[in-house]
This record gives sequence, C-alpha cells and structure tokens, in this order.
Amino acid sequence: MTHRDVDMTSSQTHTLEHRKSQTTPRRLSDGQFAVLLLLPGVALLAGVVLYPLIAALVTAFFEQSLVLPGRTFVGLQNLVDVLQGDFLRLLRQTLVFTLGTTLLPFVIGFALALALNTKIRGAKVLRGLMLIPWLVPGVVVSFLWMWIFNANYGVMNALLQSVGLIDDPQAWLAQPGTAMGAVILAKTWQSFPWMMVMLLAGLQTVPVELHEAAEMDGAGTVRRFFAITLPHLKGIVGLVLLLEFIWNFQHFDIIYVLTGGGPAGATQTFATAVYETAFQGYDLGKAGALGLLWMVLLMALVVVYVRFSEKGEER
Amino acid sequence: MSATTQLPAAPTPPSASSPAEAPRPPQRLRRGALRSERPGVRFAAWATVVVCGGFGLLPVYWLLATSLTPRDQVFAYPPKFFPSAPTLDAFAALASNDQLFGYLRNSVIVSVITAVLSVLVSAYMGYSFSKFRYRGRRSLMYLVLASQMFPQALLLVTLYSVFSAYNLLNTYTALVLSFTTFTLPLCVWMLKGFFDTIPDELVEAARVDGASRLRIIHSIVLPLAAPGLIAAGLFAFVRGWNDFVFALTLAGPEKQTLPPGLVNTFIGEASTAWPELMAASLVVSLPVAIAFIALQKYLVGGLTAGAVKG
Repeated sequence: MTHRDVDMTSSQTHTLEHRKSQTTPRRLSDGQFAVLLLLPGVALLAGVVLYPLIAALVTAFFEQSLVLPGRTFVGLQNLVDVLQGDFLRLLRQTLVFTLGTTLLPFVIGFALALALNTKIRGAKVLRGLMLIPWLVPGVVVSFLWMWIFNANYGVMNALLQSVGLIDDPQAWLAQPGTAMGAVILAKTWQSFPWMMVMLLAGLQTVPVELHEAAEMDGAGTVRRFFAITLPHLKGIVGLVLLLEFIWNFQHFDIIYVLTGGGPAGATQTFATAVYETAFQGYDLGKAGALGLLWMVLLMALVVVYVRFSEKGEER
Repeated sequence: MSATTQLPAAPTPPSASSPAEAPRPPQRLRRGALRSERPGVRFAAWATVVVCGGFGLLPVYWLLATSLTPRDQVFAYPPKFFPSAPTLDAFAALASNDQLFGYLRNSVIVSVITAVLSVLVSAYMGYSFSKFRYRGRRSLMYLVLASQMFPQALLLVTLYSVFSAYNLLNTYTALVLSFTTFTLPLCVWMLKGFFDTIPDELVEAARVDGASRLRIIHSIVLPLAAPGLIAAGLFAFVRGWNDFVFALTLAGPEKQTLPPGLVNTFIGEASTAWPELMAASLVVSLPVAIAFIALQKYLVGGLTAGAVKG
C-alpha cells in the first residue's frame, strides 16, 4: 500500500495492467489457473506412465508381436501360459533378490550408521566417503563388480583363495549356484549408503537426554539400543525397508548388465523377464501377462507405501 | 508460521537454564555421554567401520587402481593389488575414441534439457499443489508420488510402440520426455516443500499490488525458491545421466547416452579392456559426484520429501 503511494509511475502501470486484464474476454478463476499449471506435468504422466501402463496390461489379453502389426484377442491364454510356465520360478527369484538386496544393505547401513553416530575420530570424513558407492551410476556398479567377479583375473577369487575360503577360482557370475549371490552383493554395495544416510538422519532425532537418563539408571548400551534407539527409529526403519523393497522388486540395470538374467535364467526377475520377453522374444502378449501379475504384487506394496507416507503428511 | 511460535519460546531457554546450571550443567552431561562409549562400544564401532567400510571402499580402490594399470598387467593372476607401473594410458585411449565422445555429447544434451524441462514442469505443478486448494489435489499428489513405483521395464513394452508410432524412436525427444516424467515425483514434491515455506501473505501482497498470477510465480516465488530449483535441476540432470534402460531401448547408437554406449562398446568383447572400462566408469561418475557435492545440503531433505513428511 505505502509502496503504491510513494511510487506514482509504478502505480500507474499497475492500474493500466489491471484495466487491460479486465478488458480481456475471459479471466481465469483461481481454480482454472491452478489446473492450467498442472497441465504439462499431467500430460507427461499420462503419456509416459499411465497410458503405456494400461496399454501394456491390456496386451496381456492379446497375442501381439513387437515387430508385426495387428493383434488377436486370446482371453486369458497368456496368463494361463505364464502361470503354468515361469511364474513361480520368477516369483521365487525376484523375492530372493528383493529380500537379499533389502536386508543386507539394511544391516550394513544400520551398523555403519550406529558406528558413525558415535564420537570416533574421522566419523565425518567416513560418512562422506561411504556415499561413493551410491553416487556411482548403475552401469558403473555393474562394470566394477563384473571385473571383481571375473572368473580368470578377478580380485574376488584372489582374495578368497589367499584366505583359503575357496580352492579353485570360481566363475561367480556364470554358475547358477553363485550368480544370484553375486548380483545381490553388487546391488547391496550400491544400496547400503542410502540406508546409512537415512538411518543416520533418524539417529540424530533420538533425544540424548533419554539415553543419559537411562544410563544413570544403569541401562547398558545394548539395552538402551533396544529400549530407546530402536523404538524411536521405528518410522524411518519401516520407511527405508518398504521403499528399498519396492525399488528392488523392480530393479533392472545391475542384473541386466551383470548377468542378463543368466546363467540359464538363474538371476531372472520379473523386470528382466518382462524386458526380455518383449524385446528379445518380441512376445508382447506374454510380456503383458507377466507384467500384469507383477503389477498386482507391486500395487499391494505401493498402497502400503502411500498409506505410510500419508500418515506423516497433514496438509 | 514457525517463527511466530518460536518467538515467545526463544527468550526462555537462557533464563531457564541458568538456575538449572548448578544441579546439572549441560556440558558435564555431554561428557558423561562420551564416557559411556566404553572400550567395548568403541571397539565394536571400529570393527564395524573396518568391515563395512572395507566393503564400501575397497571396490572403489580397485576401480581406481585398475584404471591406472597398464593393459598387459591386467591379465595376470593373481592380480597385483598395487599396480607397479601406474599409467594414464587408459584415459588417453578414451580421449582418442570418437564413438565415446558421441555418447558423451548425447548424454550432456539429453541430461541438460531434461534438467531444464523438469524444473519448469515441476515448478508449475508444485506451485499449484502448494498454493491452491481444489478437489482431487491430494489424490493427484499421491498419484504423482506413486508413479515412480510403476515398473519401467513394463512401461517400455508399450512406450516403444508409442514412440515408434510418432516416429520418435532414436531421438533426443523420446529420451527427454521419458526422463523428465520420471523426475516429476521427487522434483514436484521437493519444490512443493520449498513453496510451502514461502508465506501466503507475500503472494497476497503482490496480488494486491496488481501483479498477475504468472508474474507472481516468475518474479517472486521462483527467485525465492532458487535453491530448490537448483537442487531439483541437479537431481533431474543426474536422473538423465544415469539412466540405462530407456536409452538402451529407445535410442540407437547415434542417439545413445553413455551408460548403454559403454555397455555396447566394452561388454561382450572377447577380452574386455578393463583399464579403459574402469577409466570410462570414473569419467561417467564424475558429473554425478560434482552434482552431489553441490546438492548435499538438500539431499536428505529431498530424499525424504513426500516420504517422511511433505
């Protein structure tokens, strides 16, 4: 108000602008303006996520090829084929991968968060250094671990042989028995820093006073961890486990580059199987059927996640 | 809003703590907490750091060491943990590889455009979510959030046909549109958080002064949220830079970015040029590391945005 009284020229331009906008044929209401702001984002989400998703799920009921035009309705045939074929094996392998790559990084990340939350020297520098694996692009993680697990010249073989854990060099990524473990280890290496950061942030919200009071009452470190630290971290622990589980349930890059789902399909998950069926087998119908079953499982997890984050969001 | 509630509370702590200082000075208590880190606890902390830290950092060392190893030394077993004649040959070999420069150019173009577009789109969307109230707002917000949970391998099954129908396969456009969309959940929620901290009174005042709603966004709100815009832009850049599967599927060799480009160049050869691949890996990781250092301050907040709180 005062600004307008002082500055005559600007107030004149304001009234001019005001008059101009009044003479335009239609002035948007606040609601219309708000929707207009949403449009570019909504268009992208509709075009790149929603439409492709629905269309992919619809192909589950058709016989359709990636490279040939046209399709025929086959009802539930694709779903029946998938359920009688690979489904259970894929589900088992996806769950092994997802559980492994959720729990292992959690244990390592939590241990490190607890260790670096103490006042040991160099904790700050170490916190920064530990983030490196997480910063590295997924393909680089794959290249590095492919080299570490290399059957002929790999450093993993040399290391394990020198401590006497294995007698002969192993082709870690080419043996059905070891490939999944190797892939899980590589993904764990990429994931644990994120877990550490989130849990460290959580640890810093635990009131020191509680620990001090409990200590005066004679509670030891372990007891205080279970009685004070853990209950305080319940929210963040649930969140990181849930998010990591959802992400790993659909993880693609590291598996695909490291093993391509092999050997003999031993590291195949829903993600790599859907991709392979569509882009190497050209069978969109079967890929859609696999995807439909995958989505049903995933949606259950997403509903849990949205419920979870709604609890923290009030506005 | 939080400033007004803190004002009366702020003067109280000094006055409250000074009489309490005699029975329990806060400094002695903190030292007490330090003393509680008994030898056992300290040992456990160090053991954890050595074991887990080794797991985290030894592979990083191996990446560096291999990139400096002469090519003939790489194919030796057992491998030399310290390369005896470190060399930059691998980096020199990369620098003379025109194909890799093509991938690099594609990566830069696609990631930069993605960053700019993503900031624009998510700023408008975040502002709408933050400062307006309408039906379906919350549902849409959660739909945006949930869209990152849809499996990309499945979306690609039809996205490939969609882009093919519009003749967009093997173009930057297909990559930029895809990447931008997948940055929206995090960027929109992060920017909404930033806009929430801008007082409504400021927007109202500008409106009373006669500024149009678009002008309020461009000349008042966005400058105030500049740190958020930079953080969102860097995040979007990294998202485009790191992507593998979209660039692999939607783009051919001429338009492919570095991640699938490196796979095509190095993997599947009879004998992989490991020092060069490790050197290339370092080069690809560098922009991400720089972005991270710039982003550090907002990172944890941005990561937890929409997850822990809004």
